[in-house]
Amino acid sequence: MDGGKFFGAFRACSGIQDAVVLTHVPVGCNWGAAMFKSTSNQPDIRQACTVMHEREIVFGGEEALREALVRANRLYNTPLFVVITGDAPAIIGDDVEGVIDSVTLNKEVVCVDAAGFKGTMRKGYEEALVRLAQLMKERTVIKNSVNLIGFCPDEFKVDADVKELTRLLNNAGIKVNCVISKCSLDEFVNAPAAELNVVMGQGTELAEHMKKEFGVPYLEVDYPYGLEGTADFINAICEHLHAGVNEKKPDLEPFKRIYLYLHELYGTPVSVIGDSHAEHMARFLDSELGFDIEVLAGNEDDYFIFEQNVRNSNTTILFGSSFERNITSELRIPLVRFTYPVFDHVCVYDDAPYAGFRGAVCLTETILNAVMGFGDKFGGLTIKTEEG
Amino acid sequence: MRKFCIYGKGGIGKSTVVSNIAAALAEDGKTVMVMGCDPKSDMSRNLIGRRIPTVLDVFRAKGPDEMKLEEIVFEGFGGVYCVESGGPEPGVGCAGRGVITATDMLARLGAFNDLEPDVVIYDVLGDVVCGGFAMPLRKGLADDVYVVTTCDPMAIYAANNICKGIKRFADRGAVFLGGLIYNGRSVVDEPSIVESFAARLGAKVMGRIPMSELIPRAEIRRKTVLEYAPDSEIADMFRDLALTICLNKDRIMPEPLSDDELDKINEEIDILLREKEETTEVI
Repeated sequence: MDGGKFFGAFRACSGIQDAVVLTHVPVGCNWGAAMFKSTSNQPDIRQACTVMHEREIVFGGEEALREALVRANRLYNTPLFVVITGDAPAIIGDDVEGVIDSVTLNKEVVCVDAAGFKGTMRKGYEEALVRLAQLMKERTVIKNSVNLIGFCPDEFKVDADVKELTRLLNNAGIKVNCVISKCSLDEFVNAPAAELNVVMGQGTELAEHMKKEFGVPYLEVDYPYGLEGTADFINAICEHLHAGVNEKKPDLEPFKRIYLYLHELYGTPVSVIGDSHAEHMARFLDSELGFDIEVLAGNEDDYFIFEQNVRNSNTTILFGSSFERNITSELRIPLVRFTYPVFDHVCVYDDAPYAGFRGAVCLTETILNAVMGFGDKFGGLTIKTEEG
Repeated sequence: MRKFCIYGKGGIGKSTVVSNIAAALAEDGKTVMVMGCDPKSDMSRNLIGRRIPTVLDVFRAKGPDEMKLEEIVFEGFGGVYCVESGGPEPGVGCAGRGVITATDMLARLGAFNDLEPDVVIYDVLGDVVCGGFAMPLRKGLADDVYVVTTCDPMAIYAANNICKGIKRFADRGAVFLGGLIYNGRSVVDEPSIVESFAARLGAKVMGRIPMSELIPRAEIRRKTVLEYAPDSEIADMFRDLALTICLNKDRIMPEPLSDDELDKINEEIDILLREKEETTEVI
């Protein structure tokens, strides 16, 4: 289920952690973006909105935007405002850049045009990052340093994943220069100092832009789920940087403790839906846990068809977001939440990632508990067989 | 309640027609309400003698919950209830949405229930440029539509476009074309051109407003012809047109013309124009 360009842009821009995002939209768009973002980080409120009502649609939202800019300027002591315009002002043709130019503010202002009807969430993310890249500055390259591109601040497990990947890369002698988009404005401005951009699922257009503008090469890798996935991730980066292959091996002890369960689950039919990470998750489930992937879908695929395909499959665990609660409830199967948006689970402990070596352990534990905790609901299940 | 819309190209005389037939129907003892759906907000000027606050003016100043019916409905000549939708300044906002908002507010404030008009006439801006200006065609707001046109090619082109909009809603059984109204105020005053256009649409010409200096004279004095020159021939023409429309039972699903067919009409106008020019030269 794709949130459209506005949500993609919002997620990219709100990742600059000392910026304020001013959304020029009706209240519903603002509320939705804010709610999905704040589930696991409730004090992080850096958002303002023009709150367009019917009056602004009929008479234009330019005055409301001007007023919102002035008020937000008084309210927030921040180095950057990002104004994101959504559907309504795009339809009525508000001159957003003209309004921004007419207001004197003591901070940088970047304007991002992100009408939801103009494209997908992915497109909104890509274009917003390129738009923000106008803030970047040419910097001396720091040897053995990388930017990790493709993150959003409201992803499930994002803090823990970034921490784990940073730990692993540091162990391999690699510095993480900037995590995009989950960084300070200063880190973002200095992103061209990285020796390599590592694109994880999305952010390719920014990487292309930085290659052209600043000469930073980039490498596209899978999101590192699982032991093999993580090893491949680290090795690919090390190889590119000529940093030598990481010698540290993952700790297999946790897996040994539960080997009987893993054996029993071998061949479990599962389905996966999500953003750019879905395919990488499916690869981990298939190649490392030995699950059978019944249905694999991206957010941009037809959701109705996805649900039909899942109903017509043998799926016994679904990997997705909070949006999949209804279908899993209907089918009485466990849901493992791993992708945006997750608004019915919190993610507080940042040492329990899903990515990296430690993530492989946590993710496996989550999957086992999802199945075992579902025990009483399995009572009335009819197991499908080939004979029907 | 009899409800109909008057559409037509900008400046074609829609407001003149609406204000005069409203006055004629009021004179006939009917309770009449007219609503101008045009940001210019000048439809009711001849009925009231001045500009009135628009629905959207009050909506902007007070918001939807504080508005009152008496702030947006004004009585004009003959007791005609006048409403202007209003709209944004040129170049900002969405005038089409404004028409939707204004018609919604009028219904929400009970204009139709409280005032109980026998006839409601909508005067709608030029072409059906977007869904907002098609609002009076939807939700049963009007029974049928009358399109004002002259012989000018652009007026006929606009009328044809409006018929495309009407056809869309007629397909859904929402509203139909009642007929055309011919305004003789154009470069060539030749009713047969509009008769021929109407026939190709499958419609009738409901009435003819000839070129008359009484109309601009009345409008300069901010009056309808029925008020300014009630005994004139042109006033009677408006009375006839008002009754013809009010009693019209024909509901037509128009068949809009193709560009080629419109070009043919243009050629006919061109021939008439040349003949007129030759006659003038001979004289």
